[in-house]
Amino acid sequence: MTNTKLIVSHAPFWHSGDSLFQQNLNFLIALVPAALFGIFKFGAPALGVLTLATSSAMLWEVIMAIISKQKIAIADMESAVIGLLFGMMVPATMPWWVVITGTFVAVVLGKYVFGGIGGNPFHPTLVGIAILMMSWPAFLDFDTAYVSYQFDFTALAPLAALKSQGTSVLSSFSTYDLLMGNEVGGIGSTFGLGIIIGGIYLILRGYTRWEIVVAFIAGILITATLFYVLHPDTYAPPLFHLFSGYTLLGAFFLAVENSSSPVHRIPMLVYGFLGGFMIILVRNIGIYPDGTILSILLINLINPLIDVIKPKALGKGVSHA
Amino acid sequence: MIKRSFFALSKPRLTYDLLDTSLQSAEPLAVPGSLTLLLPEKIDSAKKALIGPGDAVKKGQKLKLYDDSTPYVLSPVAGTIKGFDSYSDDFGNKATYIMIKPNPSAKGDEQWAQTNLEQTLEFAVGHLGQIPGALPFSTLANPDYDIRTIVVTGADTDLLCDTCQFVCSAYADQMAAGARILKAMIRADRICITVPENLSVQVDLDGFNILRTSDTYPSNLPAMVMKDHLGKVLSPGTIPENEGVCFIRPEALVSLARIYETGHPVFDKVITLIDKGGKRYRVKATIGTPISKILSCFNVQINERDRVIIGGPMRGLATYTVHHPVVPDMDTIMVQDRDVIAELSDSACVNCGECIRICPANVPVNLLVRYLEANLYEEAADRFDLESCIECGLCSYVCRARIPLYQYIRLGKHELLTLRENA
Repeated sequence: MTNTKLIVSHAPFWHSGDSLFQQNLNFLIALVPAALFGIFKFGAPALGVLTLATSSAMLWEVIMAIISKQKIAIADMESAVIGLLFGMMVPATMPWWVVITGTFVAVVLGKYVFGGIGGNPFHPTLVGIAILMMSWPAFLDFDTAYVSYQFDFTALAPLAALKSQGTSVLSSFSTYDLLMGNEVGGIGSTFGLGIIIGGIYLILRGYTRWEIVVAFIAGILITATLFYVLHPDTYAPPLFHLFSGYTLLGAFFLAVENSSSPVHRIPMLVYGFLGGFMIILVRNIGIYPDGTILSILLINLINPLIDVIKPKALGKGVSHA
Repeated sequence: MIKRSFFALSKPRLTYDLLDTSLQSAEPLAVPGSLTLLLPEKIDSAKKALIGPGDAVKKGQKLKLYDDSTPYVLSPVAGTIKGFDSYSDDFGNKATYIMIKPNPSAKGDEQWAQTNLEQTLEFAVGHLGQIPGALPFSTLANPDYDIRTIVVTGADTDLLCDTCQFVCSAYADQMAAGARILKAMIRADRICITVPENLSVQVDLDGFNILRTSDTYPSNLPAMVMKDHLGKVLSPGTIPENEGVCFIRPEALVSLARIYETGHPVFDKVITLIDKGGKRYRVKATIGTPISKILSCFNVQINERDRVIIGGPMRGLATYTVHHPVVPDMDTIMVQDRDVIAELSDSACVNCGECIRICPANVPVNLLVRYLEANLYEEAADRFDLESCIECGLCSYVCRARIPLYQYIRLGKHELLTLRENA
């Protein structure tokens, strides 16, 4: 026993056992229902896009880690989550080079130029999608993407149809159909029920902060209700907004990304509500059919400004003799 | 080790252990063949030392390194000084190990028989500074503080530990006697004792103000007791002593009572050993006994790359050698198997917010750590509440990126003090 080498480190000597790998693994698990549904519905091309997006994102991470001489951390699987989310937001027919370009922008411009893990001010996936949306909008047009497919439901992207044809088109989309994924859209963004189940799983496991999700959904419902009540002929009802496009994916998976969202309670509520509010403003007043991406990027931007609203630390501002 | 629960919607809750009633008494450990005393002063080769190798020491003899030094230790045995070694703690503060070989046939106690045992603070500062339980007499005698309230930590401050609860229940009478002596000595207004609210063991605590503390960590830590029970919230950068409150161990009172009862110094310290399986052993060891002796007494095997922790799992200190001696303020020794040691990482903060949710002092740890990593200590204190931290370690416990947050904070406070001293 005399010369046994002991491990010396600092307190505390216990750990809850949580890790970044656990966090990202749970994100992937939570994304599985919606992703699987997309594969069943859109077939092999969807599987191809999802796997290409995930693997290319991980590859970009390895390349960047080598170039920037950082520790290779793909085992944490953060880039896998970025890539999978990217794949779930694009149509199944997206060409391979667009997918790879998109994940390049997401991982390199969205994450690595800001210093890698924990440094990104925006959700990396959204940076990738936003750049594609500006550069090659045709590849993100869900109506043209699925022309060769035969569906037994209205094969129109709900939000684009609403923008171009007005509220008359709403009768072709029932809330049930939107929830069960009977709509065209991104591979993993159509199956509302699956996204909700995955999102609630993540909240219960403590990997996403419920305040953001609840405030985000409240922001959508309240703002959309106000518009709808004032002009029922011009604007869509709140549930249509909630279940169409990227809204649910945004609420449960995109707005809650750790590094780009607040951690204190009041800022989380403000952040989430503003996100939902902005989505409806873009959809009802702006020119884009789906405002989810831009509005989440916008609230990512105000995150550092509002996250300074925090409770007083122990002993601060207390006057006593 | 308590792990994260599967459903983690609310923040994790760590609870203190109650007194292990299966251990009725502490097993006395014989004085080993070699003792090591820890003297909190570094060896200065430029000065002429008062003691040297080969010198004979008597039991109870006061050992100082130099003429002008204040720190001292009392030799627990009669014997010979074998040698010196230097020791440095985790912040690099230097101290000295004094190795003593006991001589059972030598006559002891002369030193103390001649001393007139006075019940005054001056005498206590000069002679009782190293009694088991480490009563902080130098703090009590410090003219900068006006100590009016003594809080006895009857409820252990760290998880798993139950030494203080054991001392309270097993030596209640002596503790009360010690409290009377201390109260007379320092003219304190009141003596409080913290007791776990769920403790089923009946203890007679006449003369104490009883503060019943919750079983949720960190409610037994001094800053939390001050806030919850004494109505005094510590301002950032202050310690309880600034508010006239001093926290002491129950064992310090027991030792005090025994010294004045018998007229002889006491050197046996109650220690709880927690083995890898969580089983507890209670032992009474002489101050200076190497930890390895306690481990071998109970056949606790230490393998390569295990961890030996002095103190509890949240705030303890990992020792690098099993030869480290029993010191007056050591309550618990915990052995951790290499397989359960959690890995730390140098990953950046990912802003998951777990630390924010659990911090009992509302410190914005996620932002604070970025400043501490960049060595911006003054900014960390001014803008991100570095000094409000009560050092409970919960942020590191929950950290998803496994950043050693607690150590960053401790280091930050240490560096801040150094900066201010040099300013």
